[in-house]
Amino acid sequence: MNKEIEKLLFNPIRLKTISFLMTVETCNFKALLEITDSTKGNLSIQLKKLNEAGLIKIEKYFQKSYPTTDYSITKKGKSSFEEFYKQLISYKKVK
Amino acid sequence: MTKQEQLNIINDAIKQTKINLKPLGFNLIFWSMVIISMSLFHYFFPKIVQYSYYSALIYWVSIPLLGMIYTTYYNIKSGIKIGYETQLDRVIRIIWAVFGLAWIFTVGISLLYNVNPVQDILFLLGIVLIMTGLIIKFHNITIGGIGLLIFTVYTYYNPGLNLLLVNVIGISFGMLIPGLSLYFQKENE
Repeated sequence: MNKEIEKLLFNPIRLKTISFLMTVETCNFKALLEITDSTKGNLSIQLKKLNEAGLIKIEKYFQKSYPTTDYSITKKGKSSFEEFYKQLISYKKVK
Repeated sequence: MTKQEQLNIINDAIKQTKINLKPLGFNLIFWSMVIISMSLFHYFFPKIVQYSYYSALIYWVSIPLLGMIYTTYYNIKSGIKIGYETQLDRVIRIIWAVFGLAWIFTVGISLLYNVNPVQDILFLLGIVLIMTGLIIKFHNITIGGIGLLIFTVYTYYNPGLNLLLVNVIGISFGMLIPGLSLYFQKENE
């Protein structure tokens, strides 16, 4: 497994975000704030890191003249998470 | 953070995805009320609705179109409030959008050939309700759809029936009652 990805998902906020995005099509910032139970500033930084790594996609648009941002997981994000999860499960079995 | 803690985080995050079926219940109730009210108004005041050759057409096309605009606005608003869309939400949204297009197409065809579209629309609605009920695993909607389908087939063999009353009965049992039971049920996880 890619060490970079493993390091990235070691952060609980990033791991919560990726896990939640695995179960939904799209999600807005407000919902992610509730799910991750973090602050706006911290979440923004973690989302930016996930986006830079190509694990999530960020789409910005205007809805009723208000700026809105949608987040979704990318193909790379899905495969990375699946690999990461498999590793965690195999570790549990070995233990 | 240990491996077990990581697994716990993943499980907790996945468990937080709730499928909110209240907006679907609202849509079913809203459309049932619109169609039933329109049918009853048409039935009791035919002179007003059929005032001219095009008045009934305007009545049956303009009000549902306004309803479509309102429900689209409501669905966008409730989507923003919930904050996320699951794969299931997307499937349901696509199915009903296709039904909306099929409704427009059926009304257009019925105008061209000068036939009443009520039975075709009810038949289509019955199929979409069955699909929806099976997908969200809500038996009342599936049963409502099956009932509506059987009722529509019955009307094909009894051409003398008043199609406005057919609309009222079919929609009441096939969509309104299942919609109410979906809207007032406890939230699913």
